[in-house]
Amino acid sequence: MKKVLLMGQANVGKSALFNRLAGARVTESNYPGTTVDFAKGRMRLNHEDVEIIDVPGTFSLEPKDKAEEVAVRMLEQEKDALVVCIIDSSKIERGLYLALEIMEKGYPVVVALNMWDVAKNGNVKINAPKLEQILGVPVVPTVATRGEGLKELVLRIENATSASIEEVMEKVGGKGGTFN
Amino acid sequence: MEKKLSQMKYEEKGRIKVIDQSLKAQIAGMGIREGKEVEMMTKQPIKGPVVVNVDRANTSIGLGLADRIIVEVEE
Repeated sequence: MKKVLLMGQANVGKSALFNRLAGARVTESNYPGTTVDFAKGRMRLNHEDVEIIDVPGTFSLEPKDKAEEVAVRMLEQEKDALVVCIIDSSKIERGLYLALEIMEKGYPVVVALNMWDVAKNGNVKINAPKLEQILGVPVVPTVATRGEGLKELVLRIENATSASIEEVMEKVGGKGGTFN
Repeated sequence: MEKKLSQMKYEEKGRIKVIDQSLKAQIAGMGIREGKEVEMMTKQPIKGPVVVNVDRANTSIGLGLADRIIVEVEE
């Protein structure tokens, strides 16, 4: 079965989105060897059942604690998974960091700009179509708690693509770089 | 004036100048990178963590880490 991983930093609304997408078909499970829980559920995507997994929050793919280790390991184990990267729109910059890291690993990604309402109220203006053009993956504004944008998100999951970080860098005129 | 992030006072603002190499990758995901503006939000007593605001996001970092971040502050 095709797997969809919901990934994002802490407190961006991953679980809210998960509960919306998976509906009542949620099953809880324990990841062996840790105390960190993650949830699994199912949803219909393009007339096909897919497994949807609520991955623990992580700031980056450089794990700093047990929960983050689980998140990174889950990503590494699910080589064929598609990733919905959830970003708190009001703190978009640090969320994009994780999104780019996941894209860099070659996973097909869809970005959910969650908490769109919070960003709007905080006068944070985001040009989602432009961001989509730069990243080369679908970017969908959502308000998971109210279910806004979720239909669009699910529709766009089918268009999830792997993007090239080099192309992203070219578009923003950055030089790239590593920490090592 | 340069000082350690850990030495910033409550509500003091500054710009991150140098982050210890060993730390960079670890905290970049929290939006803390060289050139970023920071504001000290809270300092916890007894060598507790500090809470800083970067790009409207509050982030708490351990005092040990904050010791290895150099900030440029206005006098």
